[in-house]
Amino acid sequence: MSYAYLFKYIIIGDTGVGKSCLLLQFTDKRFQPVHDLTIGVEFGARMITIDGKQIKLQIWDTAGQESFRSITRSYYRGAAGALLVYDITRRDTFNHLTTWLEDARQHSNSNMVIMLIGNKSDLEARREVKKEEGEAFAREHGLIFMETSAKTAANVEEAFINTAKEIYQKIQDGVFDINNEANGIKIGPQHSPANQSLNVGGSGGNQGGNCC
Amino acid sequence: MDYFRNILGAPQGEMQATSGADTVERLCERVSSSTLLDDRRDAVRALKALSKKFRLEVGTQAMDILLNVLEQDRNDAEIISYALDTFYYVMSNEPTDEDDATPVNSGLGCEFTEIFIKRPENVTLLLTFLEEYDFHVRWPTVKLLTVLLSNKQKELQEIILVVPMGVSRLMDLLSDSREIIRNDALLLLNQLTKGHGNIQKIVAFENAFERIIDIIKEEGATDGGIVVEDCLLLLQNLLRNNTSNQNFFKEGSYIQKLKPFFNIDDEYAASRQGGWSAQKVTNMHLMLQLVRTLVSPNNPQNQTVACQKVMNHCGLLQDLCSILMATGVPADVLTETINTVSEVIRGSQPNQEYFASVLAPSNPPRPAIVVLLMSMVNEKQPFVLRCAVLYCFQSFLYKNEVSQSQIIQTLLPTAADANSITAGQLLCGGLFNVDPLSNWFSAVALLHAIVENPTQKEQLLRVQLATSLGNPPVSLLQQCCNMLAQGGKVQTKIALLMILCGWLADCPIAVSHFLSNTANVPYLISQVSSSEADDHEIIVQGLCAFLLGICMLYNNDTTEAFTKSALKQVIQNRIGLESFTDKLIQVAQNENYTRAAKKPHLYHKHPNEIVFDYEFTRLFKMLENEVLKAVSGTGSVNGRSPGGPGIDHYKALLKEQEDQVLALRKNLEEMQAVSSSSEKTVLELKVQVQQLKDQNSLLKAQKATQGTPPPAGTNSSSTEEVEALRRELDSMRLQLQDKDTQLMSMSSNKSNDAATDSSSSYHNGSSADEKPQGSDNLRLQEIESQLVSMTTERDSLNERLIKANEENLKLTNGKRVTEEEKAALVKEHQELKEDMETLKKEQDDLLVLLADQDTKIESYKNKLKELGHQVEDDDDDDELEEVEDNDEGDAD
Repeated sequence: MSYAYLFKYIIIGDTGVGKSCLLLQFTDKRFQPVHDLTIGVEFGARMITIDGKQIKLQIWDTAGQESFRSITRSYYRGAAGALLVYDITRRDTFNHLTTWLEDARQHSNSNMVIMLIGNKSDLEARREVKKEEGEAFAREHGLIFMETSAKTAANVEEAFINTAKEIYQKIQDGVFDINNEANGIKIGPQHSPANQSLNVGGSGGNQGGNCC
Repeated sequence: MDYFRNILGAPQGEMQATSGADTVERLCERVSSSTLLDDRRDAVRALKALSKKFRLEVGTQAMDILLNVLEQDRNDAEIISYALDTFYYVMSNEPTDEDDATPVNSGLGCEFTEIFIKRPENVTLLLTFLEEYDFHVRWPTVKLLTVLLSNKQKELQEIILVVPMGVSRLMDLLSDSREIIRNDALLLLNQLTKGHGNIQKIVAFENAFERIIDIIKEEGATDGGIVVEDCLLLLQNLLRNNTSNQNFFKEGSYIQKLKPFFNIDDEYAASRQGGWSAQKVTNMHLMLQLVRTLVSPNNPQNQTVACQKVMNHCGLLQDLCSILMATGVPADVLTETINTVSEVIRGSQPNQEYFASVLAPSNPPRPAIVVLLMSMVNEKQPFVLRCAVLYCFQSFLYKNEVSQSQIIQTLLPTAADANSITAGQLLCGGLFNVDPLSNWFSAVALLHAIVENPTQKEQLLRVQLATSLGNPPVSLLQQCCNMLAQGGKVQTKIALLMILCGWLADCPIAVSHFLSNTANVPYLISQVSSSEADDHEIIVQGLCAFLLGICMLYNNDTTEAFTKSALKQVIQNRIGLESFTDKLIQVAQNENYTRAAKKPHLYHKHPNEIVFDYEFTRLFKMLENEVLKAVSGTGSVNGRSPGGPGIDHYKALLKEQEDQVLALRKNLEEMQAVSSSSEKTVLELKVQVQQLKDQNSLLKAQKATQGTPPPAGTNSSSTEEVEALRRELDSMRLQLQDKDTQLMSMSSNKSNDAATDSSSSYHNGSSADEKPQGSDNLRLQEIESQLVSMTTERDSLNERLIKANEENLKLTNGKRVTEEEKAALVKEHQELKEDMETLKKEQDDLLVLLADQDTKIESYKNKLKELGHQVEDDDDDDELEEVEDNDEGDAD
C-alpha cells in the first residue's frame, strides 16, 4: 500500500470523553459502548484520500488519566495533528481544555494542527456545553472545531479528514518542513524526490538536536 | 602537581593498597576545595584512574563531590568526561581488564546506582548532557546511563519516562553520525525498553523501526556484525507482547522491509566453504524470531491473522519456504525456519494452501510436507528439528479441514499410489516402528489430522493395515490397541493413548469399533486398577482412565457387552470411583502436562521431555469434568442419552418448573416495585416532616425576635414624646399665666393712669399744665404701643397654645394607635403560639404514622421473602399523603 504522505496524529483530552471510541470508529467503523480504560497509548492507522492523493494516518490514542500524563507528553513532539476532545455532556472536560492546550502547545512543534472536538453529540438531552461555546473557544485559540459522535459516527470521518486537509494545505503553503520527520510528516516511498523540491526548508543536519 | 605524579607514577606496590583510601580522601578534598579549574580537573582525572582499583573508596567518598562537579563545571567538557568515566567505573560490574585477580563485587555497582538515583535530578542531569555534541561528554553519558539501566532497570525506566522528552532524547542518539555512540545507543535502548511497554511505544513512535531497519541495511543485513544483532534484539524488545507496536509495525509496512533480509542466495554458501559464520547464524536466528514475534499464537488472533496475510502478500512466506528447501543452511537455522513457517501458516488458510503447494527440489519433486515428515520419522535427524517439523505439520492442519482431509486421504486405500511416498505412509510407518519418538510424533501428527473433525475420525476407521504376508489386514484402530497391549516404551503408550482418546472423543462409531474388540476394555481396566506407579506409569494409568471415560461418554449402546451402564458398573465395581477420579486428576497435575498446555510450540530440549501434546491437553481439559460427572453422577448419564423413555416427562416437568419460576420471578418483581415505591413515599414524608420542623423552628425564632421588643420601643418613645410635650405644655401654661398677670398689672396701671389723666384734664382745663400732660401723653403712647405688642404677643402665644394643644391631641391619638397595635401584636403572638401547639401535635401524629409505616414495610419485606402474597396497602399510602397535604396547608 503506497501513500503520498504519512501524517502522525495524537488524540488528547480528559478521560472518558471518547478518544478511543473515536479512533475505533474511524479505523474499524464500530462502536464500543463499554469504557475500556486506555493504558498509556494505543495505536491505530487508516488510509484516506485527499485531493486524489493517498494519505496514511497513523494515530496514537493517549490515556486521558492524569497519571499517564508524563507518558503521553512524549508523543506531542512528533505529531503533525492533534485531536483535542471534550465531552459535551460534561462541562468539566470543556473547562480543562485550556490546560490541555497549554500542554500541547508547550511540548509540540508550533505547526501542529489542532482540531477541537466536542464528542457525544448524540446525547443532546444531556448536553452541558453549547456548540457555540465550543466554536468560541476554537475561534479564540485558532483551532478547527467540530462536534462528533463516535456512537453514531456523525462527523468522525470529517474530523480526521479535515485535520489532514489542514495539514496538507500547510504543506502546500510550505509551512511544514517535510524533510524533518520529527514534525510527524513523511513522504511516501516513491514520492520523495519529485515532491521535495517544493520545500527546501530544513537543514540536513541529523544531530538529533531538534528537541526543545 | 608533583603530588599527583607521585600517586600516578607509582601505581604498583603494597603502598598503594594501604594508602588508597587516604589518597582518595585527599583527592576528594582537592576537588571540593580547590578554586582552580585545572586543579580540580587533575584531581578528578586522578580519581578516575583510581576508580577501577578502589571502587568502594571512590564510590563512597567521591560520589557527592563528583555530582557537584557535574553541576558546577559543566562548561568544561574534559572534567565532565572524567567525572562521568569515574561514575561509570564505580557503577560498572564488568570485570576490568587490569585486575582479573580480585573478584568483582557485583552488588557494589547496584548499591552505588541506588544511591545515585535516589535523587532523580541526577538522572535528569545526565540526560541534559546528551545534548552536548562533544564526543567526550556524550559517549561517557551513554555508557553511564547504560550501566545504570542494567543495574536498576525498573527504577531508571520510571525516572526517564517522567523526564520530559527523556526517551526522545535517547532515541535521537540513534541518528548520531559517530558510530560508537550510535552502537552504544543501541545497547542503551535495549536496556531501556526491556519489559516496559510504555517506553517501547514511545521509542516506536520516535521512528525507531525505520531507523533500526536502516541501520541493519547499512550494516549488511544478516551478513552484518554484532550491531545487526543488537538491532534485531532491540526490534524484538519493542515488539514482543506489545500489540500496539506490532500493529504499528504492520501498518508502517515494516514487514515488507524485512523481506529482503531473508533472501539467501546459494552463492553465499558456495563462496564460503565453511558454511555460515557464527554471527550470520545468530543474526538469522534473531531475524526469524522477529517474524515469530509478530505471528505468535499467543498474540491476539486478529493481530496474528493480519500479519500472516501481509507476510504471504509480500512474499516473506515464500522466502522462508525457499530457505527451508535450500542447501547449506545450518541445522539450527533450518529448525528455526521451520518453526517460523509453522507460525506464519498456523490457522491461516491461504498460507496453509501455499505451504501445501511448495515442492522440494528433489527428483522427482516431492511436496515439502512429505520431505519434512521424512525427517520427522527419521531417528538420525536432530531432535529439535523433528519437533519443529511436527509443529509445522500441526500448524498446517490447525483449523483447516481441507488439509486434514488431504492427509487422511493419503491413508485410504483408494488414493494409495504405489510409486510415491505419501504423508499417510510415513505416519503409519512412524507409528509402528521401533523408535518411541517416531511413534509419538506420528501419533500426535495423526491426532491433529482428526482433531475436531468427526468426518475424518470416521474416515480413519476405514484404514486397514497389511501387517505381514498371509495374515488378514488389521484396522488401524485395532493395530493401535494391539500395540498398546504389547507394552513397549512409555512414550509410545502415551502417544497411542492420546490418539485413541482424540479419535474416540465425540465419535460414537469409533467408540463402538473400539469396544467391539472384547480385549480392549479389560486391558484398560487392568491398567487403571494396577497400583504400581512410577512417574510415567501414573500418566499411562490416568490416560487409560480417561479413555475408559470417553468410551462411556460417547457410547451409543450398540455394543451389548459394554453399554453405558455396564461400563459404569465396571468402573465403579472394579476400579472404584475414588481411585478412578484420583488417577484422572493425576494427569492434569503432572508438570509435563502444564508445560505442554502452555503453548502450541514444542519447546522441548530433550527427548525425555516429550510426554503430552498441546492439542491433547485442550481435549483433556474439555472432557475431564464430563467424564467425572458421567462416571460418578446418576442423572447426567441419563441426561446424556438422547431420547430416553422418561425424557418427555422430564421435559414437561422442566417446562412446568420453568413457568413456575417465571411466574414467581414476576411476582417478586411486582413486590419489589411496590416495596420500593412505598419506601419512596416514606422517604418523601420524612423529608416533609423535616421541612415542617425547620419551618417551625424558624417561626419560633421569628416570634422570639418579633414578640415584645418592637412595640416596647415605639411605646416608650411615644410616651417620652408625650411626656416632653406635656412638660412643654406646662411651661407654656406657666408662661401664659405669667403673661396674664403681667397683662393684669399693666391694665391696672393703665386704668390708674387714665384716671389720673382724666382728673388732670378735669383739673387743668387750661394749657397751663401742658407740660405734664405732654409727658403723660408720651407715656400713654408708650404704654399703648406696649399694650399693642403685648396683645400681639398674647395672640401669638394663644396661637402657639392652640397649636400645642393640637399637637398634643395628635400625639395622644398616636399613642392610642400604637397601644392598639401592641394589643394586636400580643394577640397575634397568642395565635402563633396556638398554631405552634397544633403543629407540634400534628408532627407527633406524623411520627406515629411513620413508625406505623416502618412496621408495615417490615411486614412487606417479610411477605416478599415468603413470596406470593398480594399486598393491599395502597389505602395506607393515601392516608399518609393526605396528612402530608394538611401539613403543608398548616405550614403556610
